Amino acid sequence: MSAMDKTLIEVRGLTKNFGGLTAVDGLDFDLKEGEVLGLIGPNGAGKSTTFNLLSGGYPASAGSVRLEGVEMLGLPPHRIAARGIMRTFQHNMPFEGMSVADNVLVGAHTTMRSGLIPVLLGAGAARAEERKARERADELIDFVGLGEFRDAEVTTLSFGQGRLLETARALAGEPRIMLFDEPAAGLTPGECDRLAEIIRGIAARGISILLIEHDMRFLLPLADRVVVLNFGRKIADGAPDTIRSDPAVVDAYLGEAGGVGAAAGSGAEPRPHA
Amino acid sequence: MADLLELLVSASASGCIYGLVALAYLLVLRPTGIVNFAVGEWAMIGAFAAVVLSVQLELPSILAIPGAALFLALVGWLTEWSVVRPLVVRGAGHLAPILVLLGMLVVYHQIMLLSFGGGQEPLDGPFGFRRVEIGPIAGTPQSFFIIVTTIAVFVAVWLFFERTVWGKSFEAVAINRRAAALMGINLRLVTAFAFAGGAAVAALAGLLDGPRGSVEVAMALPLAIQGFSALVIGGVNRVEGALLGGIILAFAEDLTRRYAPIPSGLALGVTPTLLIIFLLVRPTGLLRAREAN
Amino acid sequence: MGAALSHPWLRWVAGIVALSIIPFVLQPYELDLYRKMLFWVALAISYNFLFGIAGQMALSHFAFAGIGAYTVVILLTQADFGLGIAVVAALLLAAILAFIVSFAATRLEGFYLALATLAFAQLLTVVLNEGGSLTGGTGGLTSYSFPAVFGVKIEGPWYALVMVAVMLGTLAILLRIDRSWFGRACRAIRDNTEAAAAMGVDVARTKIIVFTLTSVMAAAAGMVYAFFDNTVNPPVFGLENAFLVLFMVIVGGSGSHAGAIIGAVLLRLTQDILEPIVGHYHALGFGVVVVAAILFQPKGLIGAWDALRARIKARK
Repeated sequence: MSAMDKTLIEVRGLTKNFGGLTAVDGLDFDLKEGEVLGLIGPNGAGKSTTFNLLSGGYPASAGSVRLEGVEMLGLPPHRIAARGIMRTFQHNMPFEGMSVADNVLVGAHTTMRSGLIPVLLGAGAARAEERKARERADELIDFVGLGEFRDAEVTTLSFGQGRLLETARALAGEPRIMLFDEPAAGLTPGECDRLAEIIRGIAARGISILLIEHDMRFLLPLADRVVVLNFGRKIADGAPDTIRSDPAVVDAYLGEAGGVGAAAGSGAEPRPHA
Repeated sequence: MADLLELLVSASASGCIYGLVALAYLLVLRPTGIVNFAVGEWAMIGAFAAVVLSVQLELPSILAIPGAALFLALVGWLTEWSVVRPLVVRGAGHLAPILVLLGMLVVYHQIMLLSFGGGQEPLDGPFGFRRVEIGPIAGTPQSFFIIVTTIAVFVAVWLFFERTVWGKSFEAVAINRRAAALMGINLRLVTAFAFAGGAAVAALAGLLDGPRGSVEVAMALPLAIQGFSALVIGGVNRVEGALLGGIILAFAEDLTRRYAPIPSGLALGVTPTLLIIFLLVRPTGLLRAREAN
Repeated sequence: MGAALSHPWLRWVAGIVALSIIPFVLQPYELDLYRKMLFWVALAISYNFLFGIAGQMALSHFAFAGIGAYTVVILLTQADFGLGIAVVAALLLAAILAFIVSFAATRLEGFYLALATLAFAQLLTVVLNEGGSLTGGTGGLTSYSFPAVFGVKIEGPWYALVMVAVMLGTLAILLRIDRSWFGRACRAIRDNTEAAAAMGVDVARTKIIVFTLTSVMAAAAGMVYAFFDNTVNPPVFGLENAFLVLFMVIVGGSGSHAGAIIGAVLLRLTQDILEPIVGHYHALGFGVVVVAAILFQPKGLIGAWDALRARIKARK
């Protein structure tokens, strides 16, 4: 494991009120460079709200989110992407009028530097950039295992394949940070395993990852560190092993059927880290 | 002063017509999310139906008016069944029904042109021509008839939505289709009724407007535009908004035409200007939705 | 020979040659139909990019053709501008107006955008009708003609070449930018605006660029049109035609350049050939075709063609 000393993202006092309801309340946590950080919590804990605040979905009521010291809160989604933070969508949001390859190429949008005029004139630099982008997209499609579907229409993909497409598309933006929105939701166990492998591969490339996830069986073996939310507040922050036996966490999940044990797969040994 | 009052009566009547067209849009838009631009054609067909029934078949207004409305209800229902439902069933997205109704607009328009030609047909109102005076307010009998009928229609629709089970199910579908379906509300029936009702209301708008000038195929498109503008101004969230929007639009038009120091032709620009302003500044219209309870 | 023809450059050259020769072998009446068809094809191609590729359902396209036409005629006849300056100035005016209208596109979606742009087209009609001697009022402007270029009078089949050039220029520009990050960004906005933004697409900026570019292209086509019959009047650029371009794109295949061309050609041919025979029924038939296309083949004629080719390939 590489030394994860550098703090990439600092979240301080993040708060979001919806009318009378406080969904996120003074949340503080860090994302360090190169780590896989899991954000978990029972239903209604504020995970999705936090995710949406980080990805620019709506404005925060208070607090700050700094990327290497620069404030990110309040930026529109496309600027957040331009800063190197790419995301997936829980319900898969492919571009249905385009092929798989073109979908991935849209993800590379922020990396394309050629202006419209050079593109129009067919300048060599513009064409070279387009060619390289296509090569990278093909590489990513193979990386997630969708190689044979390269030219397929996205409407023909299964949900699990769509999830892989989401991942490849976000990776095409050459992000420093990937935000995964409940990536295991809706996947079969086999698909979960494959996705976990892919996420490990992404982390191995040096990309920092923030995962919000409900399924602890999927998350705990994958994460280097876990932040636990309940009622919009952080109740625990540490290594997966520490978290699973933390009394506050167990308490929070006791409200859930089966509690932490069931969510984490009772009796199952955590898989060794990559 | 008397002049102004007479203008107000006439403008109110126009506002009622626009309000009825706006209501026709609203009845379809709320439960289905579909903007049916063909309502203008429906209004025009309603006017022609009234002409056929009252002039050619010599039926009295008391039969001709409901007859025309019923005929259009049938047209509306058939339209929904033949071109809208297949798209909804297929899951064709929200744009396809709007586009297919634009195509139907052309179909209706051309059928009417081929059947009746481009000329003008006279249509008599049920109350004759003599000027009516109610105190200081004067106007044509048709204007008063329009105002009274429109208010009656709006009250009836309002009561329908607020007080009947059927109306509440319309609202439920408008708020959340999936939840409504899960609650057992028959979406297909609601949609069919929405189209039938919208068509009938549009027919009323057309046949009430007809006696104020004449009935011609070309009346369809302006009514469609003015009705939609009235809807945007008044707000799509409340039934009363349709009438409010219509009144505001008609007053703005007529007062501008009469009193503004600009050539009268420019008054035609009032509707599109107001529409653009509202779409950009206040797309939800003047009346807010009632708070959910 | 077959391999040579597959090279894109050669296809373009062949196309240019074919389209340029045709005007010289046609009768005057047929020539008029030909260049009007090219005008509609040019409009359909640019509208297809705006609506079919970028998903912006605007009804102002034809109005911009009118803006181009009227402006260039007014500048030539009333302001005594030279041809080159008049053209540039007209394009600039169209660009400025399109830029303003495009802000509506950033704030409105779907049919609300359609109505706002339709209202703009209506306003234009009102302005043209009430413009007095500047715009010629309801009768429009007549008795002008295309000025001589360097002393050479361009008319008849030679003028048709101007329309060929504008149409091909429109197609070439749009094809080029379609196959780039910009084209993909447009399609992304059309398919899923939220995901497009998350992937880094500046949605507002892209919409403004697309709207302005395609509207200026419509204005350019309109400018050439102005000298077909040497007359411009409000009804031509009125509301009925606003829907026509939309229908052409739908029937041909929304989102496909070839589809736009086919849709425009087909609908013009039907009108020009059928109208003398069946009179007004051609318009009814046209409405039915539009409805049928949406119901049965939403991908338009191009979609039907692709499906046919796929079926033939599967049989082999």
